[in-house]
Amino acid sequence: MELLLQRCFDGMFNGAIYASLAIAVVMIFRSTGLLNFAQGEMAMMSGYVALVLLSSGGVAGTGIAGWLPGHPWPVTIAIIGAVIFGFVLGAAVERFVMRPLEGRSALSQVNVTIGLLILLNGLTLQIWGSNGRFFPSPFPADIDDFISIGGARLRLTTLGVWGVLIVVIAVLGALLRYTRTGLAFRAISSNREAASLVGVPIGRTLTIGWGIAAGIGALAASLVGGAIILEPLTMMKMLIYALAAATIGGLDSPKGAIVGGLIVGLAQSLVPGYLGVPTELSILPPLIAMILVLVVRPHGLFGTRPIARV
Amino acid sequence: MSRRTKLGFAVLALVAIALPLISDDLTLRRQTQLIVLVLAVLGVNLITGYTGLISLGHGVFVGTGAFAMANFIDWGLPAWAALIASTVFVGLVGVILGLPGLRVRGLHLALITFGLALAFPPLVRRLGKLTGGTTGRDVDIEFMPPAFLGIDEHAQIWRYVVCLAVVSIWFVLAWSLVNSRMGRALRGVRDNELASAAFGINLTMAKTGAFGISAAMAGTAGALQAILFPFVSHAQFDAFLSLRLYAAAVLGGLGTLAGAIFGVIALITVPTVNDALGLLDNEAVVFGLGLVVMTFVAPDGLAGLFSGAGQDPDSGDSTNTTD
Repeated sequence: MELLLQRCFDGMFNGAIYASLAIAVVMIFRSTGLLNFAQGEMAMMSGYVALVLLSSGGVAGTGIAGWLPGHPWPVTIAIIGAVIFGFVLGAAVERFVMRPLEGRSALSQVNVTIGLLILLNGLTLQIWGSNGRFFPSPFPADIDDFISIGGARLRLTTLGVWGVLIVVIAVLGALLRYTRTGLAFRAISSNREAASLVGVPIGRTLTIGWGIAAGIGALAASLVGGAIILEPLTMMKMLIYALAAATIGGLDSPKGAIVGGLIVGLAQSLVPGYLGVPTELSILPPLIAMILVLVVRPHGLFGTRPIARV
Repeated sequence: MSRRTKLGFAVLALVAIALPLISDDLTLRRQTQLIVLVLAVLGVNLITGYTGLISLGHGVFVGTGAFAMANFIDWGLPAWAALIASTVFVGLVGVILGLPGLRVRGLHLALITFGLALAFPPLVRRLGKLTGGTTGRDVDIEFMPPAFLGIDEHAQIWRYVVCLAVVSIWFVLAWSLVNSRMGRALRGVRDNELASAAFGINLTMAKTGAFGISAAMAGTAGALQAILFPFVSHAQFDAFLSLRLYAAAVLGGLGTLAGAIFGVIALITVPTVNDALGLLDNEAVVFGLGLVVMTFVAPDGLAGLFSGAGQDPDSGDSTNTTD
């Protein structure tokens, strides 16, 4: 029982990270019908930017960041900086890369996001090298920072990450619900052509949407730092978990993204423990779940069942 | 055969003859290793360009081919038999891994294959007995020319010629495939599944067949790599190999056989230019940037760039019918 609880708590931390990245993926999929394969790498770059903002030296780019007032920044402020960087990066990608390709085949849009994945990964490797970097957690992360529940340790970082996730969902929900841009975004998601006919500014709204999605990704990459070490391959694995989460939940459902993230996170900590799958192969359970969902129920748990006229 | 194609063949033949003459042994080995990758790119092209099923996981098939080769040689098979056996084996693996492609298409299939590419290295690390686990393993073969030729000091050229021959055989097979009933069926599946089914094309056969053949091509590439450099480890077949193969196929041009050749020319020249300029010590930046830029300026890839500007007057395919 204690062990079960412990494993659940461990899985919940990862689950929150996957869920945030999955929300970013879902936001873009809902509005544009596109899977952004570069989402993870955009997030990773932002994570490194956070690292630059909070380090006093030893990381490429701290020299440039040095003239920023008060640099090196405390962790929380640095993460906000990274989120802003992520927003700008995401918006720029939409405006200057994706927008000109509007109306081109789905294949060329996929190709571009794959190109961006390779490019951003290469750039990160080029700038910051392949060595893993320790990234401090914004929450108390010492060995004794935990709440004991039924003998299992619920770490404060896990609580913190879930707190942030809930805030993000609330803010995002409010943005979509109560702002003009949010309304426009929902309109585009539900029917793009009709939205454009009634004068919704498609381009501007999508730019903001991509920016927000990348900002959420940046947050995920910065928060994951508390648990693992940032290195250029980190986010590629994160991405496949996030994509699995988004698929299991239903690619166009934000609610599904969160539930999916939790499922993948828990599966990752429970399945190796109980079914004897070696930890190294923890990528297999989410992957198999994703394949099964795609084959049997492509719209996932909460997604819209696709209806096609033939 | 159009004049342009003939010219292309002539240039290729010249380059193929010139390469071993101008390169030293080490460079030639590196180039041979890249040239066999043309088969993997051709495999991606067949499944993505001709059949319309995106595969971001062909590195898995290259890797499986390499490890299969190593094991078949362990069993005592002669090299040529091991090469055929690993090709067939990877073809079967491709049929199995391609099964989701029967129901899943487009982005979702890209997702699945990308997941497979990421899961392959950890799987290989676990299968220690067959694959050498985390450290990798030697392949127990010396790829030397037969003794009666008496050209032992030019072994590298012999390897180059053998690989080139295998690659050519696959190209002839691929050429006859895409121009056969099956090839037309694949393009039909790509352009409109329902319509093809209505015309009596067996979608299941077409898709699994395409996946199997395309995987087998990549498997041959892996098997050849395993004997060109007799050491295989999981690190050689990470997700980036798959992405690079996909990038090469797109850069070269999807849906044309020439595209695969152009793709591998890109695979070869990018690192060379990189070395020469000394600008960047990783080629990923160039590949990624190339993929993004090419999507804008030449959506049909390098092959499209070279053939699109002036269609052959005798090919009967005129783009300016309105004039």
